[in-house]
Amino acid sequence: MLLLIFIYISILAFILTSLSVAIRFSKMPMHSRWELYPVPKEKGRSEYGGSYYEELKWYEKPREISLFGELKEMLKEMLFIKNLFVNQRQLWWLSYALHLGIYLLGLWTVMLLVGAVTEVAGMTIISDEGVTSHWWAGLVYYVTLFAGAMGAVLTALGSGGLLLRRVTMESMKKYTTGQDYFNLLFIIIVLVTGLVVWASEPTFSYGREIMKGLLTFSPISADGPLTLHIILLGLLLIYIPKSKMSHYVAKYFTFHKVLWENEPNLPGSEIDQKIKEAAGIKSGKTWAAPHFQAGGPVSKDQ
Amino acid sequence: MIKGKDLKPQDMGKPHEQLTKLEKLMDLPAPYDKPGMEPSLTEPKDAWKEKFCASLDGYIGIDTLTRPTTKEEEEEQVEMFLSGLEKIFSDETNRNFIQPLLLSFEYCAKCNTCSEACHVFQASGQNELYRPIFRSEVLRRIARKHFKKGSGIVEKFIGADIDINWETIARLGELAYRCNLCRRCAQTCPLGLDNALLAREIRKIFSQEMGIAPRPLHEKGTVLQLKTGSSTGITKPALLDNIEFIEEDIEEKTGKKIKIPIDKKGADILLTHNAGEFMAWPENPAAFAILFEDAGLDWTLSSDLLGYDNVNYGIWYDDSQAKKIALQQFKVARDLGVKRIVLGECGHAHKAAAVSADRLFTGEDYIPKESFLPLLWDLIKNNKLKLDPSKNNFPVTMHDPCNVVRMMGIVQPQRDIIKAVSPQFREMTPHGVHNYCCGGGSGFAIMKSMNFSEFREKVSTRMKFKQILDAFQDTIEDPTIPKYVCAPCSNCKGAIRDILKFYKVTEKFNVHYGGLVELVVNALVDIEKPFLDFLRDD
Repeated sequence: MLLLIFIYISILAFILTSLSVAIRFSKMPMHSRWELYPVPKEKGRSEYGGSYYEELKWYEKPREISLFGELKEMLKEMLFIKNLFVNQRQLWWLSYALHLGIYLLGLWTVMLLVGAVTEVAGMTIISDEGVTSHWWAGLVYYVTLFAGAMGAVLTALGSGGLLLRRVTMESMKKYTTGQDYFNLLFIIIVLVTGLVVWASEPTFSYGREIMKGLLTFSPISADGPLTLHIILLGLLLIYIPKSKMSHYVAKYFTFHKVLWENEPNLPGSEIDQKIKEAAGIKSGKTWAAPHFQAGGPVSKDQ
Repeated sequence: MIKGKDLKPQDMGKPHEQLTKLEKLMDLPAPYDKPGMEPSLTEPKDAWKEKFCASLDGYIGIDTLTRPTTKEEEEEQVEMFLSGLEKIFSDETNRNFIQPLLLSFEYCAKCNTCSEACHVFQASGQNELYRPIFRSEVLRRIARKHFKKGSGIVEKFIGADIDINWETIARLGELAYRCNLCRRCAQTCPLGLDNALLAREIRKIFSQEMGIAPRPLHEKGTVLQLKTGSSTGITKPALLDNIEFIEEDIEEKTGKKIKIPIDKKGADILLTHNAGEFMAWPENPAAFAILFEDAGLDWTLSSDLLGYDNVNYGIWYDDSQAKKIALQQFKVARDLGVKRIVLGECGHAHKAAAVSADRLFTGEDYIPKESFLPLLWDLIKNNKLKLDPSKNNFPVTMHDPCNVVRMMGIVQPQRDIIKAVSPQFREMTPHGVHNYCCGGGSGFAIMKSMNFSEFREKVSTRMKFKQILDAFQDTIEDPTIPKYVCAPCSNCKGAIRDILKFYKVTEKFNVHYGGLVELVVNALVDIEKPFLDFLRDD
């Protein structure tokens, strides 16, 4: 039962901490404009990096935004890590293997849940006689198997490769901290314990059993290796959003709220309103240089 | 001294007289691939080492960063740096940048994708010191050490393993001035992070907290501009004299009698120039006057304080100075009652007025700002100017100012214009939003104290020089064919002028530089003699 509660806690911690990171960034004050072109939402201009500033008297014309353009770029980045593919192909192979592996493990988790729901509803996925002959059971079983196997292999290849690269390449090694190594090692250890568990039961039935336990709030039975794997995976889930591995949240802000955020401040606009509100905020703190002090000298030497 | 390739972030606090030095730089294309074609590197003078921080790479960018004479002074400067460090991470004192700063500060995966994009790192022969993440990583390690005090093992684990002393701080300050803030690195980051932003934040700590910034940017830059009206020091009477001279020059060169409108109340357009143009390149404001008068525009210049100088060096190092300047510049336009500000050929003025200062003021103070580029293309497209491109029948290439393209998204109008007036136009590689900085960006073009110019000519402008040579490979070694580098930005023009002089390119290979409007005026049908000086017999 304790193990079950721990799983609930770790999943909840992952979601809540990730949300708190998002809330923390979204609550920060509106920043000065710091966009960088190409901005993909610039309709008809994003291909070459153009903006509304190319238009004569742009401020008198309707703003043309392509949400499709922004979505397309966002998906390219999310699904394929496009920037890395374009700018550093060699590293992309490893990084993409890791990320695709994680996506597949995400799919695997969802499929375990689907399998558990199916079994709770009364249809067995797999028994001693083999996979149940119903098409749905076959689909759930084989997609789970494919996602789990491919996910594990790709994540192992990616994280192992990245760690090896970091250890062997001088230009990466000198910027890597102990914590950076720890992050990769943590993923690898969880993966290894997972592979050990999987090796003893290749059908992933234990996964569906855990999901059933979670769904029905009933104790799960786990042997030594599985218990260790669950504890380590739970700890990883708790740790990820607290570390810089939470870049899945940060990336939304770096692109959408900084680099692609080029909304002009026109009279009466939402931006205009925010500036008015911000103007009312008085801070007791200021900077110490002479030119910040009322009536002070303009520079150090004066 | 540590070899460039062996340098590590932790070395920044080590007691070397000079941390590293430039060695084998990036190769240049022909004809500069032969020995003896470029001046050699020099050593810093001993007197500079004693007075300033020459202990980074031997160059001195911050001429106000002097070595403390007492232990107390040294400790005070370190304390002030740390106090400034705390302020950049506070939303009370850094509201305008806290969000982008924290994102770039916290999430770097150190994948080094940015290194390939950085012209300074590449030009230096990949000296580790100039790798975009080197500076950021030093800042991170200092901040971790300062904010998260722990035991030795914890410090090492989280990367808080750098000695915080005066030398570390001073070197980091210098290193913030080895980046042109061109943000090309940020375009390539898979996480959308920005090392240039971190360099600028370091500059802010030095200026806003410690009162330390290069003289050409602060004392002789923003401070002088706020006091006299222009960072060039040019006053209203001097400006009026200059304009009179420009009118005479226009008549002499083109036969056109033009009265340049000044302080015309209620005009449609207030045209603003980088005041450096009036001093160093008067043909540029002259060309604008010719084109605007030919097209019959309702426009004016301003002779009011800050109205005749659109530069804003504050955006490179100090938020407060940037705001003060923008405030004054917009006030001039509102007082004149013009309908819009049109920005002339100055890249950072474009970004400062239209982008950086966009969220500093509310609706009541609003005045539209736009680039001259769409306006000029509109005049050409609608045949308001009669042009004969065959008058510009020589190889022309164009430099894209980072602030106009990468940071503002104006890419196409200048291409439409140059193609309309220049039959032998060829692009640089890469160009547009993926261009390389001229090497003079973020203040480098005007920072000339001690040996800093050498760093600029040999390193920061090297990639641009390579691009220029590449663009003219078909004719570079034929000195009978004039070649023109078009740089529609005052600072970029200054940097390119210095490259051509340093490498004796004009003298040896007949390569010239100038703005875009001069090229357009040169193509005007009704001007008999060439407008461009290098084409004139006299």
